[in-house]
Order: sequence, then C-alpha cells, then structure tokens
Amino acid sequence: MNIRSQIKKFLNTIFSNWLSGTGFIIILIFIVIAVLYEILGTRIVPYNPYQINLLQANMPPSSTHWFGTDDLGRDIFSRVIAALPIDLGISLLIVFVSSFIGLVLGIVAGYFRGALEEVIMRLTDLFLAFPPIIMSMAIAATLGPSLLNAAISVIFVWWPPYVRLVRGNTLQVASQDFIAISRVLNTPFRKILFKGVLPNIITPLLIYATMDVGTAMLTLSTLGFLGIGIPINTPELGLMSSILTTTFYTYPYEGLIPAAFIFLIVLGFSLTGEYWKFRTVMKHLQDHIRDSSGRL
Amino acid sequence: MVGRRELTVFILKRILFSFFVIIGTIIIIFLISHTLSKDPAALWAGPKARPSTIAYVTKEYGLNKPLYIQLLNFFEGFFSGNFGTDPVTHQPVASEIFYYFPNTIELVITALIFIIIIGVGLGYISAVHFNSKIDNAIRLLYTSAWATPTFLASILAVLVFTSYIHAFPSGGMYTPGLTPPQRITGIFVLDSLLTGNFGDFVNGLDHLILPSITLAFLNFGIVTRISRSGILNVKWMPYVKNAKAKGVNERSINRNHILRNGLIESNTVIAVMFGWLVTGTVVVEEIFSWPGIGRFAYNAITSDDYPALIYVVIIFTILVIIANLIADIMYAILDPRIRLGGTVK
Repeated sequence: MNIRSQIKKFLNTIFSNWLSGTGFIIILIFIVIAVLYEILGTRIVPYNPYQINLLQANMPPSSTHWFGTDDLGRDIFSRVIAALPIDLGISLLIVFVSSFIGLVLGIVAGYFRGALEEVIMRLTDLFLAFPPIIMSMAIAATLGPSLLNAAISVIFVWWPPYVRLVRGNTLQVASQDFIAISRVLNTPFRKILFKGVLPNIITPLLIYATMDVGTAMLTLSTLGFLGIGIPINTPELGLMSSILTTTFYTYPYEGLIPAAFIFLIVLGFSLTGEYWKFRTVMKHLQDHIRDSSGRL
Repeated sequence: MVGRRELTVFILKRILFSFFVIIGTIIIIFLISHTLSKDPAALWAGPKARPSTIAYVTKEYGLNKPLYIQLLNFFEGFFSGNFGTDPVTHQPVASEIFYYFPNTIELVITALIFIIIIGVGLGYISAVHFNSKIDNAIRLLYTSAWATPTFLASILAVLVFTSYIHAFPSGGMYTPGLTPPQRITGIFVLDSLLTGNFGDFVNGLDHLILPSITLAFLNFGIVTRISRSGILNVKWMPYVKNAKAKGVNERSINRNHILRNGLIESNTVIAVMFGWLVTGTVVVEEIFSWPGIGRFAYNAITSDDYPALIYVVIIFTILVIIANLIADIMYAILDPRIRLGGTVK
C-alpha cells in the first residue's frame, strides 16, 4: 500500500507537467527497448550490429538500412539498438554504485557524527575537487580500455555529491524527535535505520540519482567520443559518434544519429527531473556551500 | 553588522583548508599514477615503448624506488615546476602548460560572460512569467541545451556557422600566418589590444566568438535554473509584499528587492562554474582546434604522454579548488549569515 501510493504520487508529480511527462515516456521507451535487446539479443534487430560488410559501407538511410551503414558497412540502426543496454546499463551502474557509496558513507557520517564524520567528509571534499571529465580520462587511460574500467573511472569522481546529499538528509532526520525517542528507548540501530532513517532519505536520493543517469551518460559518451576507456568496435553511442570527425562532410548522418540518441535519452532524464530538480539541486548546492564554510 | 574581522578569519580558514585539499588531491593523483597500474613504468613510457625507453623512464622518474621517496620526489618536482619533457615536442611540460593556459582562460572567461548574460536573463524572464508558456519554453530550452553532448553542439556549430554560413572562421585562435602580438598577459585578444594592434584584436575576437558561445550554450542551463529558483524564492517574501503595499513601483521592486537578493545564489554558482567550464574545454578545444590546456590534455593521452597528463590533471584540480574557494568567499561577502558558523540563523 505504501509503495503503491508512493508510485501513484510519483506519477502524479511527473505527469502534472507535460515537460516532465514527455521526458518520462522517452526514458520508459528506451529502457524497454534496451531490456528487450538484452533478453532477446540480435533477433530483434534487422542486422548483426558487429557484422562488417565492406561492400555495403557508407550507405545512406534507406528502407533496407533505416539509419544507413557506417564506414565498415555495419547497420547503424542495429548498432544504436545494441548500444542502448550498454549506455543505459553503464550509466545506471555508475549511479547505482555512487548511490550505494553515498548511502553507506552518508548515513555513517550523518548518524554517528564524531571523528568518523570528519574523516568521511574531508575525504569527500578531496574527491569533490577533481574535475570529472579530466579525471575520468586520466583514470581510464591508466586502467586501459574496457567497459568495466570506463565505469570505474567515472564512478571514481561520481560518488562525492551522493555522500553530501545523504549526509545532509540524514542529519536532518536524525535531529528529529522520533529518532531521539527511539534512541532513548534503546531501539536497535537496524530498526531505526530501516524504519526511521532510510524511508525519510530515500526519496531525495532517488530523485537525484534518476536525474543523474543522464549526466553520467553524457560523461560516459564523452569518453567514448574521445576514444578513451571504451574498447573499439563496442556499440557505444559516444564512440559511434566519434566517426563524425572523419565523415563529417561526407556522411554526417553516421555520427549525428547516435549523437541524437544520446541527446534524446539525456533530455528524457533531465526533463523528468526538471520538475523536482530545481528544488533538489538548489538545496544540494546550498548545503554544499553552507557545509563547507568555516570548518577545518 | 557582521564585523570585518570575522570575514578575514573566515577567508583565512578557507584558504588554509583549500591548501590542504590541494595537497590531498596531489597525493591521490600520485597514488593513482604510481600504484594503480601493475607496471607503472610501462604505463608512463607508453604502450609502444621499447624496453630501453621503459628502463630510461624508470630511472628518470625514480619508479623503482620506495613509494614514499617517489612521493617526495613527486612533490619536489611539482613545486619546483619541473614537470619533465614532452616526448613529442621536446619542450618542458611546465612551459607548455604555461603557454596554453591563458588561451583556455580567454575562452572560459568569454564563455562565462555569455553565460551570465543568457543565464541570468532567461532565469529572470522565466521567474517573472512563472508557470506560463514562456516559462515552459525557457525550461525546455535550457534542459535541451544541457542535454546536448558537447561534441554534438561543437560539431554542429562548426558545420552550420563555418561551412554552410560563412560567418566565422572554422577553428584556431587567429588566422594562421598572423604574427601574434608581444606576450604580455598571454591572452591573445588582450595582448593585441594592449599593443594597440586593432586588426589582430578583431581577428582574435572573430575566432573567439563561436567556441565561447558554444561553451556558453552548453552550460547556461544551471545558471538559468538557479537564478530562476533564487528569484522565485524571494518573489513572495513578506518584504516584497510590503514594498508593493507601500506603492513602490514594479520596476524598482524587481531591481532592488527581488533581483539583488534572488541572485546571491547565482553569483556563487558562476564562480563554481568557472571550474566546470575549464574542465569542459577538452572537447570544445579539440573540435575548434583551440590551443588550450584541454586540448593539451587530450593530446597527452592520445600521444601516450602520461607524465604530462598527470600534471595537467593536477593543474585542472587546483583550478577547480581555487574556483570553489572564490565561490565560498563571494558567498560569505554577499550573504553575511554564512560567516556565522555556517547555519542560517
């Protein structure tokens, strides 16, 4: 009942504004396609996305190749579909791992306070100082190309805002009377955590995380475009777009189509979040600025 | 009135704190570059390096010594400005970074000016027409701009404005063959203006506009969003109502009561943004052939110049830390509540 009413509330909020409603539908469509491809594999696409066919190279979009073919004759439509689980999957992984790190460190810091909080928050400050794209590039270059390494290199710079967000919310919840009373009554920590703290901090985290998937995907596809961290021939939208640098004047659709898909998916995520995000981001930024003031 | 002493103490504390953050980040970068890979020497020398090169690199950077000695050497090298030699150009890395740095600053500051104009302007319009068609259109515009991959926007800008409409030159910082003016600040447009070379100035400006507008287009969204919500936050405050009741005219309310207080947040975001923009220059500089440190970083990776990459990462990180420091200080000056122990009383 509780979860159902939560979902109902969520859908009401999303569909109360046509912008966020449209965004949500876009995400849903792409996720369904990605899951279908993951389950059914190449059966649902007209061509094998990895199949090189030089005789069919650089074909313009037509009824046989909906989005045309690339310089190696691979069907771009099939590759775009094959890229969806990779791009969405890694972006979700990045956000999921960051949320998990954020939850653990943020709750520890916000609930138990003390020296541990100092250590965790100062460490978070350190990692927050790294410029995301440059640092991801450097780590991806250090680890060598693989999809997992690409994910790790982004996660490395991705988790600090989550710790701040969770800690801030935990602090607020933990200062409320019902938590103080539970503590006095010797309620076991596990119960306080799952019944008191988590339900009250999970919604802002979910909102932030959902919206963050788009940003993670932008960073990931930038790595792909620059050819760092993602193995060649992987159907990854950014990597596929990087063909723009060579076929830009001759066959612009080869790179513009995958780039347009990145745009659509990220737009979907950010439109969905738009309705809340300006509140959460604001609050988050305020917390960030207030939090980092005057303490050493 | 909060005293000046409090502000000074606050600023000194923040500077000291930033210094420790810089040291901390350098140590983390050191650990990544020296321990994350199984064979750091091979990584430093690049994948195509011969065994003799690897042996040379090992000796040159002391990669076979104990870790704490390596760390000390690393710090010594960094603070003495000895970043090693670029294997491709055979120039010292430090002087290359020093050379490219002002070019990036030129690009970023120009972009920042556009961002402030577009971002605050649209945020204001959006907030005034809250929940109307105009508001929705502006929100759609800035979310779309933000969702655009940097490479897509840059390439489209080049395609549309330089090859279909010949409005701007397609890349570079000035027309090739032009003798750059005497180096005073290192910033091309500024130097050409200072030396009174008006032709060069126009030429530089011509090359500067398209990449900086592209960079601004991609990033104005957050400023619009923050300005919009900042203005909305104060729009319904009692003191605004009070001013209205007193019969202060609309224009004066908007300017003196709403804008001034609503934009405190935006000011600090703009300073933080400087850091983001600097790191966002990698792709833009690469596509516009802009000779800045973003492009230098990318070239360092593609030419397997690992040592140069490490120092560029450090420089970028320090820039971000300084930008955040400035943001915090600006916030404290603009909003005195912040100085009082970090909570709004």
